[in-house]
Amino acid sequence: MGLARTLAVRAATLVVLLFIVLFVISFALAGPASKILKDEIMMEAKSIVMNLMLHGHYNSTQVQQIENQIITELENAYGLNKPPVIRTLYIMYNMVMFNWGYSYFPSEYGNIGGGKVVDIVLSALPGTILLDTFGILLSAFIGIEIGLRSALKYGSRSDKAVMYYAALANGIPQWWLGIVMLLIFSFYLAQIHSPIYFPTGGIISPRYYETWLLDPVKVFMIPQAVLDLLWHFALPLITVLLINVGGWAYFARTVVLNISQEDFVNFAKIKGLPESQIVNRYILRPAAPSILTSIFITIPFIIFGGFLVTEMVFHWWGLGYVYNIAIVGSPVPDLPVVVALTYASTLLYIVIIFIMEIVYIMLDPRLRE
Amino acid sequence: MSMAKNRREFRILGMTPSEISGEFFSSSTGKVAAVLFIILIAVSIYALIVLPPNFANVWNNPKYWQLNPQYAPPAWIDSIIGPVFSPQVYVNNYAYGIQQSNGITYVTVSFTANYEYNKPWSEIFIVVNNPAIYSMEQPPVVSITVYRPDGSEMTLGPVPISNRVIVLGVSPEVVSQVNLFYAEKYHITSVVPAGSSAIPYIFYTYDDGKPAPLKGTYKFYLVFYVFSQNSSVINNNDLRIVLQGQAYGLMGTDNMGHDLWLGLLAGFPIDLAVGLLSALIIVIIAIIIGIIAGFYGGLVDESLMRLTDFVILLPAFPLLIVFSVLFQWSIWDAVIFLAIVSWGASARIIRAMIMQIRSAQYIESAVIAGASRMWILRNHIMPQIIPYVLYLLVTNVPGAILTLASINFLGLAGSEYPTWGMLLYYADEFGALTSGYWWWVIPPGLLVAFVAVVFILTAMASEPVVNPRLRYG
Repeated sequence: MGLARTLAVRAATLVVLLFIVLFVISFALAGPASKILKDEIMMEAKSIVMNLMLHGHYNSTQVQQIENQIITELENAYGLNKPPVIRTLYIMYNMVMFNWGYSYFPSEYGNIGGGKVVDIVLSALPGTILLDTFGILLSAFIGIEIGLRSALKYGSRSDKAVMYYAALANGIPQWWLGIVMLLIFSFYLAQIHSPIYFPTGGIISPRYYETWLLDPVKVFMIPQAVLDLLWHFALPLITVLLINVGGWAYFARTVVLNISQEDFVNFAKIKGLPESQIVNRYILRPAAPSILTSIFITIPFIIFGGFLVTEMVFHWWGLGYVYNIAIVGSPVPDLPVVVALTYASTLLYIVIIFIMEIVYIMLDPRLRE
Repeated sequence: MSMAKNRREFRILGMTPSEISGEFFSSSTGKVAAVLFIILIAVSIYALIVLPPNFANVWNNPKYWQLNPQYAPPAWIDSIIGPVFSPQVYVNNYAYGIQQSNGITYVTVSFTANYEYNKPWSEIFIVVNNPAIYSMEQPPVVSITVYRPDGSEMTLGPVPISNRVIVLGVSPEVVSQVNLFYAEKYHITSVVPAGSSAIPYIFYTYDDGKPAPLKGTYKFYLVFYVFSQNSSVINNNDLRIVLQGQAYGLMGTDNMGHDLWLGLLAGFPIDLAVGLLSALIIVIIAIIIGIIAGFYGGLVDESLMRLTDFVILLPAFPLLIVFSVLFQWSIWDAVIFLAIVSWGASARIIRAMIMQIRSAQYIESAVIAGASRMWILRNHIMPQIIPYVLYLLVTNVPGAILTLASINFLGLAGSEYPTWGMLLYYADEFGALTSGYWWWVIPPGLLVAFVAVVFILTAMASEPVVNPRLRYG
């Protein structure tokens, strides 16, 4: 009963959080940001009227009338004639129903799905899973292994080296390392005509681009395309690994160090149990929940944390890059895409956190009370 | 141990201050962190002293940087790869003479320049710092004779002095005279590409149909003709001659000719301010929430912890981007927003500590003895959480610095002062990656990393102090 109640409270908190984030974003867009939309409508109306004046036979009052009519109609279509509260609720409703609408600037995203926001987001998902999710899992795997070894040799020279590497990796902006990698392995290698060099960005060569955006599974059927994808993947993945392995190593080291000071570990040592058994049974098992939590909680955080800018640097077609186009890459912020991505990421985040809560409770029965 | 001695002793977490500093400096991490911290503070103070108080205006005034080369690598690059890039030269020791005849004043200026580089000076500026001269009814003119190392000579001008800064190489007379020189001497027409400066071609010769550097000593002889006898003579003090190099200063220049060394220096105080201010707000909110939750317990605790969970889960970075775009936020708005959404984790730590301390036996005894909450807070709890608070302060700085650098790199939340993130934004905008401007990319990122690493190392070194478990390996 206690468990069910705990989970119910968590679920409620998370749903409330989702709605608050959604409300804040929708409200910001319906209120202050609607000016952007209004300007856009004015511009559109002006250009239509300009065309009419060039080709039609209207006098100035007629033109003014037509312009006003266009503006009113467009404002109605976008719901701008409604008060901000209604518009906020309207945006929220559409988001929750996955009725995400159309991008204002479909050409910025290569006209995927005719500019349908859902299709744009879906086309970017494989890239994000490849670079972010796979990148995090791989670096967590490597980092935890390093951190574990480091903690077991506490105070040794290799342990100190791991500490300094972790400090450096935590301090270097991932996207900056990405720029430096591109500068060295893409620009300079190409400049000295090296036989091996890496592309300056993109997720895949242009000839496979369309296939990738529409049906990534098909790309994996063509061996050359897979090689091409890997060639594009090399620099971003190395960047992600270099930065994230350090953080994981330090984290795992701290967790293991904390646990290895516990009485039950000392007792196991005094009992003379073999080292491997102590590590596996008395250190790793209690360390598992906090390490797992961290892996889980990092995935959604990172998609819109450091990876947003990293994807932009590498022009890597993932959610972060799309988000970046929607916000700073298009002439004015592409509001439908911005809202949809913020909502989608928060939703993803909340689902993952809820799964994590369940796993966590399963791993650590003490938390059930 | 007598009671009296015990009472006088000041202890935090059961350690005296000297024990704490001993623990901090016992590890090599602590020593390295301390050295780096001192360097960081020293450079920041140096930056505040060296930069003029109106540096933001200076930085944003394109005219101020007009004489500097654009996209120039640092000058010290020549000492590594040999004399390749001509450095920026401000001609100081020129010979100055003045004569008058027939109602005209002749001012003669001569100097030599030793040319030994592969990439010549790209422009010559003649600066006359006296508005009376270039606003005369009939402005003076200057004509220049260049004696080249191969014995040939080039005559340039006359060019009117009708501005404070004369850009010699782009004036049509000079371009056509340099073209003429090449046509007569090497039979090559139109050597100066349309729209570019003729100055580099002063330092070239023709070899196998290609322009090649002609190294040696060049002698410049300038004559200013001032068409009046009494007033407005071009004075020695008003006159400056600058050879624009292809390498510049300690850290090179950007697309505007900004001296990047100054831009990088300006980043120190602003980055420290950004990091410390946001960490300070985070910790203050965390202390208040943590103490109230931990001390009162019950419903207050429950609701404050729900709030804390909420704040921890907020996707701060995308929200920061969205709001920075929508509301045109400055860097300080971004700092405050970031602080307001980042205190969750710290508040949880402080609450957990207070809960632990509160359940200790001596607190219960104090409560039984009739001590008030404030008394317990002041005498038992505060001394114990202060080191943690400092630790949290230190750990919260790098996150803020890195986040603000990222958002500046996106071209958002800018400031009048150049920040390292903004330098990187412009580097990316103006083709650092496609043209290989490493001096514009490497230093700002390294400095962001340096400041973050200093705080991370400090936090790491103080971990054994605040977490006794890590003390005995």
